[in-house]
Amino acid sequence: MIRFESLNKVWPDGTHAIRDVSLEVPRGQFCVILGPSGAGKSTLLRAVNGLMQPSSGRVVIDGTEFNARTQSVLRRRVAMVHQHFNLTNRMSVAANVLAGLLPMVSTARAMSGWFRPEHREKACELLAQVGLSPAHLKRRAGELSGGQQQRVGIARAFMLDPEVVLADEPVASLDPKISSDILRLIRDAARERNATVLCSLHQVELAREFGDRIVGMRDGQIVFDGSPEAFTDECVESLYHGAVWDDTTPEEAAGSSLALGTTNVSLA
Amino acid sequence: MTTRPIPVPPRGAEVKWHLSPPYSARHLLWLVLIVALLLVTGQRTDMDRMVAMTTQAVGNLIGVADDSQVVRGLSRVGTAMWPPVIGEVEEVNRMSDLDRDRLPLFSYIEVQERVEQRMNLETLQLEAATEQVEVLVKPLGYVWTVFVKMVETLEIALWGTLLSVVLSIPLAYFAARNYSANRFTYTAARGFISLLRSVPELIVALFLVLAYGFGPIAGVLALGLHAAGFLGKFYAEDIENADKKPQEALEAIGAGKIKTLWYGVLPQVLPQYIAYTAYIMDRNLRMATVVGLVGAGGIGQELKGRFDMFQYGHVMTILIAIFIFVFLLDQLQARIRARLI
Ligand SMILES: Nc1ncnc2c1ncn2[C@@H]1O[C@H](COP(=O)(O)OP(=O)(O)OP(=O)(O)O)[C@@H](O)[C@H]1O
Ligand SMILES: [Mg+2]
Repeated sequence: MIRFESLNKVWPDGTHAIRDVSLEVPRGQFCVILGPSGAGKSTLLRAVNGLMQPSSGRVVIDGTEFNARTQSVLRRRVAMVHQHFNLTNRMSVAANVLAGLLPMVSTARAMSGWFRPEHREKACELLAQVGLSPAHLKRRAGELSGGQQQRVGIARAFMLDPEVVLADEPVASLDPKISSDILRLIRDAARERNATVLCSLHQVELAREFGDRIVGMRDGQIVFDGSPEAFTDECVESLYHGAVWDDTTPEEAAGSSLALGTTNVSLA
Repeated sequence: MTTRPIPVPPRGAEVKWHLSPPYSARHLLWLVLIVALLLVTGQRTDMDRMVAMTTQAVGNLIGVADDSQVVRGLSRVGTAMWPPVIGEVEEVNRMSDLDRDRLPLFSYIEVQERVEQRMNLETLQLEAATEQVEVLVKPLGYVWTVFVKMVETLEIALWGTLLSVVLSIPLAYFAARNYSANRFTYTAARGFISLLRSVPELIVALFLVLAYGFGPIAGVLALGLHAAGFLGKFYAEDIENADKKPQEALEAIGAGKIKTLWYGVLPQVLPQYIAYTAYIMDRNLRMATVVGLVGAGGIGQELKGRFDMFQYGHVMTILIAIFIFVFLLDQLQARIRARLI
């Protein structure tokens, strides 16, 4: 279970990226976060593994608060799938997946690349699960297609059997067919381990298909929180409306978004 | 978040475009200034005399000018250097450990007559005295000596490079802003790198010879220290500029700095590291021929000794050897490059 408690983030440049967000995601839920660009989705996800230090408020994972002291333990339990895959391009697929184990292995073992047989087997199993073939093992990660790279990224994320999986726009640069394949892989692997998934997306259709729950964000606030069924086309319209350029002044835009915020929260 | 539309001038508004010419009076002023500066520094470094003397030398060579200081100097050295010394002759009775049954390869013992001018103490006049001297002749003796020295030079370069790589790895780690433990270690590492880079090999060698005595130790250390500065700087900068994405992925699961560096950075920067190290190897090979001039071992030490004894024939042999050495290296490098690309 992940609990955000009145989280705030103000970047040094004054951007208020997260405004007093409180949210509770139960264990095993696939929670999709939607919202226009700059809404603060990435910022929120990155609070869970400490890639972003919140200005105030806290994040609690299964009863343990995330802070500097608990960070090293909690990070092992939280995996992340990245929009740009974030693989080491010039390293082999196998080494990239094994890198998912790094917090658990000694430095000597890591540097020599001499992983335990059971770990090597696990890497192979996971690669098979995400649909890659043994021929890919020795290939350089950077040579693979985007879809294949994301599969490697997923295999790496599940090496430590995480309790929480953060997926920040995992399919943003992939075609529709592969996008749903990838999301299915994440969902199935997470279900198998009863892991909680926090996944930000830009595709409403995919959000409805895969999410157990949809959270809509706008201007750093949660403006919708409910089931995929409750997330109607009107909700989509109001979530994204105003984010595109129109004739309203910034002041007006801010006012209308606040109004939208209240309607949507009541909608949920 | 505020999104503002890109401002577009209202329809019908007059827009004045203006594109100024590429050069202005200010550029001309700069040009005059630079030319003036060049003239001053050229005068201070005797560039005018250089041109005059060279012109005179060329004139002398094509028969226009009668005399040239440059040509005279060069031809004097040139004649002294020719022919290069190939063999070696040693007096047998000065060699303590000569085994007559087992002479070195290709060498033989010969009896030579030597004419010496001696002062006759009774008549107080110089007399020519003929003496029979047994000598050991090694027809390729000096070439062999130079070859051995060349090998030593190669070894100095090799160990210098090895030392620089070993030293520069920890230096690079602490000199990379995003991995250094804190501001202090960062500044210290950067400062140390600047220090190493600021002192040329020859000067380092000069001091190290005082500390370690004549011989290759000083050479290896001098090459290694200077190159460690170079490699440390470039290795560190590559770490700083490496793609952040894989590093972030590993940081996110708490992999730790060293392991992140090994898995997220090193594979990405390795080709560059190899290129830097190859450059340093090449540079050290050439520098290793020079550090001997201050006594730090290798062929340079031999060169300096012969030069100081006015044995220009030996110097010539050494210069030819260095040329062949560098030529072969370039060939080898071209081969390797062709193989890799
Ligand atoms: N490192 C940073 N420094 C300063 N401001 C930042 C930083 N990261 C994000 N921001 C700002 O925080 C706000 C939220 O950004 P965030 O990346 O969380 O949005 P997002 O919802 O993930 O957008 P997208 O859908 O485009 O990924 C934006 O206004 C952004 O400019
Ligand atoms: Mg984002």
